[in-house]
Amino acid sequence: MSVTRRALALVLSALVLGATAPAAWADQLADIKAARKIRIAVAMGIPRFAFVDAALQPTGSDVETARMIAKDLGVALDLVQITNAARVPTIQTRKADILVASLAVTPERKKVIDFTVPYATLNIIVAGAKGVAVKGYPDIVGKRIGVTRATVNDMLVTQNAKGAEIVRFEDDATLITAAVSGQVDLVSTQEAVVAVMNEKRPDRPFEVKFVQSELNLGIALPQGEDALKSWLNEWVKTNVANGRLTTMFRKFHERDLPADLTSRN
Amino acid sequence: MHYRFDFAALEEYWPDFLSGALTTLQMTAVATVLGLVIGILCAIGRRSPRAWLSGLCGAYVEAVRNTPYLIQIFFIFFGLSSIGVRLPVLAAAILTLVINVGAYTGEIVRAGMDTIPAGQVEAAESLGLSRAQIYWDIILRPALERVYPALTSQFVLMMLASSITSQISAEELTAVANNITSITFRSFETYIVVAFLYLALAVLLKLAFWGLAQALFPRRRRLGTPL
Repeated sequence: MSVTRRALALVLSALVLGATAPAAWADQLADIKAARKIRIAVAMGIPRFAFVDAALQPTGSDVETARMIAKDLGVALDLVQITNAARVPTIQTRKADILVASLAVTPERKKVIDFTVPYATLNIIVAGAKGVAVKGYPDIVGKRIGVTRATVNDMLVTQNAKGAEIVRFEDDATLITAAVSGQVDLVSTQEAVVAVMNEKRPDRPFEVKFVQSELNLGIALPQGEDALKSWLNEWVKTNVANGRLTTMFRKFHERDLPADLTSRN
Repeated sequence: MHYRFDFAALEEYWPDFLSGALTTLQMTAVATVLGLVIGILCAIGRRSPRAWLSGLCGAYVEAVRNTPYLIQIFFIFFGLSSIGVRLPVLAAAILTLVINVGAYTGEIVRAGMDTIPAGQVEAAESLGLSRAQIYWDIILRPALERVYPALTSQFVLMMLASSITSQISAEELTAVANNITSITFRSFETYIVVAFLYLALAVLLKLAFWGLAQALFPRRRRLGTPL
């Protein structure tokens, strides 16, 4: 009896400790500088944003952004590689200091984590094989559509196409496999992902059916870290204005960032 | 304290949790029945004097038991569609579960059959029992009774492993949990609720197996002791 009770107390105290531990960070910016290391989370397997190159080294516009931030802070970079669905929880539980992982700024996410001003944008689209007639959300109802879980795509399709058979995969890489192997003939994703799909299924290429939304991507950080947030905001504004971020972005995406980017929301 | 537990945020998703649990239960029920049938056939096949048959069953068992379930799932799900067979997600998920659990069950049942003394089978033969009678009454039923606890835990394990099918987008309990987490960002609470639901499902499954044993094994029912 007392053994079980003791075990229970142990589990409970572990839970409480685990939950309170983040309180130890008072000013994260100071802590990062003191540790001489910043932990930046990126979601790998996202074409153009974060992927591994031919030499198996992580690269992409998100990874390069992370490298630039660490360099300008004058600290070492600890790249924390996570999955798409783990993006918000990673910041909530402070497994990383900040997150640069093509995460769109949404009101729901703002309730639990903080965002900087947008550092990039992303068009999300519905794409499908040629024969599939889709012009808007109502046409998706009754069809099978592939999405990556915990994305804005997932949210928009779930809300606007009730009655569709939504198949959710854990990351873009699995979604691409599903499209290439023919499990889905319709996907909600971003243009870069469709480009990769078409490289691998040249006989039945996907075409863009309609644009769902243009998303503003923000660097995510835990709530209440005002010093870190204002440093990052300044950094984004400066490097968009002087063209460093935009030049790097264009290298991977072959398009320009909108002119009003950093003044959005 | 930074983290405040808020289970109330999950209340409106209760129907989703239940439908996820129900899907898990359905997958488990179908996979248990089919997996048991395949397992028994595989055990019989592996004990066969025909080399090609026992070799075939042995290859199946070794291939499945020595590769990760996740790899098997991707292989079957994406492999089938590459050759033009597009199954509904749930059917594909159940198919992978059956193939997986069939191999493990086959080995457990075979172990049970091997414990039946040869003299017992010879006695049945000299009494003039048919081969079907010998297999059912003399070998299979006592064998199943002996390995029953191992079988029960194998199927409970399979039920827990079915969470992996969320990777191919089967909307079972774990997939539902991942969806709810991505909407509410209440991952701690969600996974606590899901853990309890899995626990409840496991207890339910064990009760069902206990009931089945009472119906299947008269000796156990009358004496109340395991073999």
